[in-house]
Amino acid sequence: MLTQQKSSVFDWLNRHFLSCPFKAHFGIDCPGCGLQRSVLALLKGNLPESFRFYPATIPLIILIIFTVIHLKVDFKFGAQVIKLVFTGIAVIILINYIYKIYNHLLIN
Amino acid sequence: MSDEQGTPQENPIEPIKNDIPAVEPLQTPPVTPPPFQQPPPFGQFGNGMGQQNLPNATAALVLGIIAIPACCFYGIFGLIFGIIAWVLGAGDVNKYKLNPAFYTESSYKNAKAGKICGMVATILSILTIVFFVLVIVGAITNPEMYDNFLKGMK
Repeated sequence: MLTQQKSSVFDWLNRHFLSCPFKAHFGIDCPGCGLQRSVLALLKGNLPESFRFYPATIPLIILIIFTVIHLKVDFKFGAQVIKLVFTGIAVIILINYIYKIYNHLLIN
Repeated sequence: MSDEQGTPQENPIEPIKNDIPAVEPLQTPPVTPPPFQQPPPFGQFGNGMGQQNLPNATAALVLGIIAIPACCFYGIFGLIFGIIAWVLGAGDVNKYKLNPAFYTESSYKNAKAGKICGMVATILSILTIVFFVLVIVGAITNPEMYDNFLKGMK
């Protein structure tokens, strides 16, 4: 029963993605395309799949959780860590997008 | 207290005579009272309870981080969030530099982080938008090449 409910929830999510307007008009992925599929894969517990769809998802979620904790607890080097991880995520997104362009993965 | 209660009748006359003696106690006390008089301003504004968080530090940090997923969904939202986070963070950093004793250092660090996150998100969004504009311009001016480009990618 539980697995059935879970799968129905995932199906529902799968059918109700916010579609990227850029992709809808021009057929090319934007730098954020894959994020929702990736989050869904993560919810299913499929880490490699999530990484394949969008490598920045896992660090991004970790960063968001860390920021919430930091705003409550106020770590000494929290702001520094957030800056570094954030810049790293931006670099990952850029590299991922350039990789997609070069490997003709923009059209799915 | 009893002395003060006894004197009020003499007070109307005394103020004129006491002008000179009243100056001397002010000159001599500075040797001892400073320990009592000076600490309060530091206690209030420097060390402990009186310090405030910068008003927009948290907002700048949160907006700066939200800017990345927002940038990824629609491009323009990332730009808006990123610029707001940048402006809020920079404003708070300036505020802290004007009056460092008045605000907590942790909120200053947060504001600084928010500013940098906003900058990074803004740069990423601008790159994204430039790429979009290039693709759109390419599609409008050179439809055939655009088609070939797409087919080539498939």
